[in-house]
Amino acid sequence: MIQAAPTLTTARLTLRQPQAGDLPAYSAYCVSDRTAHVGGPYSDVQAFDKFAAMIGHWTLRGFGRYVILHEGRAIGHAGPLAMDVSHAPEMTWTLWTADAEGQGLATEAAKAVVAHLFNDLQMPALIVRIAADNAASHKMAVRLGATPTDDPAPHWLPGARTYWLRAKVNA
Amino acid sequence: MTRADITLHTERLLLRRPDARDADAATRFFVSDRAKLINDYTEAQAWRAFAAEIGHWEIMGFGMFAVCQRSDPDTALGLVGPWFPPDWPETEIGWMMFQGSEGKGFAHEAAEASLRFAFDTLGWAQAVSYIDPANARSIALAERLGAVRDDACARPEPHDLVYRHDPALWRSTVPAMETTA
Repeated sequence: MIQAAPTLTTARLTLRQPQAGDLPAYSAYCVSDRTAHVGGPYSDVQAFDKFAAMIGHWTLRGFGRYVILHEGRAIGHAGPLAMDVSHAPEMTWTLWTADAEGQGLATEAAKAVVAHLFNDLQMPALIVRIAADNAASHKMAVRLGATPTDDPAPHWLPGARTYWLRAKVNA
Repeated sequence: MTRADITLHTERLLLRRPDARDADAATRFFVSDRAKLINDYTEAQAWRAFAAEIGHWEIMGFGMFAVCQRSDPDTALGLVGPWFPPDWPETEIGWMMFQGSEGKGFAHEAAEASLRFAFDTLGWAQAVSYIDPANARSIALAERLGAVRDDACARPEPHDLVYRHDPALWRSTVPAMETTA
């Protein structure tokens, strides 16, 4: 099984595996309108279940989504998701609060994770799925070097655009 | 609080925190007809549900144990143990035995160890088991464990039966030994 680094660091951020203490901040994000692009808002009960699955994903796959720490505070998550191993893992990123936006923090986090997956773990490719109306994320996908496709949207995110990220882009 | 290394032993069984070794068996169970009384999952949902079982351990410091024979600690026969997600009205002892592992008394043996663990080590004040009314085998196990049906209390799903365990049956009657390593 692949073993991703438990912690990554960038100029401004520490990325580490999710921990129990992150649940209140993650739940606050889940119940807010910020999850409208990804099937939310969710209840506290759903937030617990989603966060529990995020933790268990690491145990079962050896990689998963990192919690992004900025100045000691958990501000979001970024990393690959592979619920279904029949296709490439899906690269995801989210800032949990509006005040973390506009500083390039999500891009900084996602770039570090993608570089680790491609360069250290030799993953060949990742997909990215973004809701049609999530303009900020479409811009970020392009900044990461992702290529848009006409692949059909998944049933849980109608109208979403699928991008491919390939290792050679970051080589 | 983390209990990453907690393992319980019974006469025949070893109960440990579930991990990647158990994913295939748990996923197969969750999509099987036998699990339809619990949830109706696709394969991806089943895998995700098992991932959430592991996350429950990390968040709560306890969770359902992977139940193995002592002679084969890599092969889970089922998931049994304490369970308390945020939509549960009370702390539960749950049990799910995988295909081919029923009828051998394993669930009973694992549930007894889990009840002792919950009352003695976790310090629970009460424990219930939520059971689908169509699950006769599970009802029989609850009764064999001395649990009594409680029709008055809250439950996760309106049709669930609630079986209430008697702490006096499971709490140690002798002062607990310090077992910290």
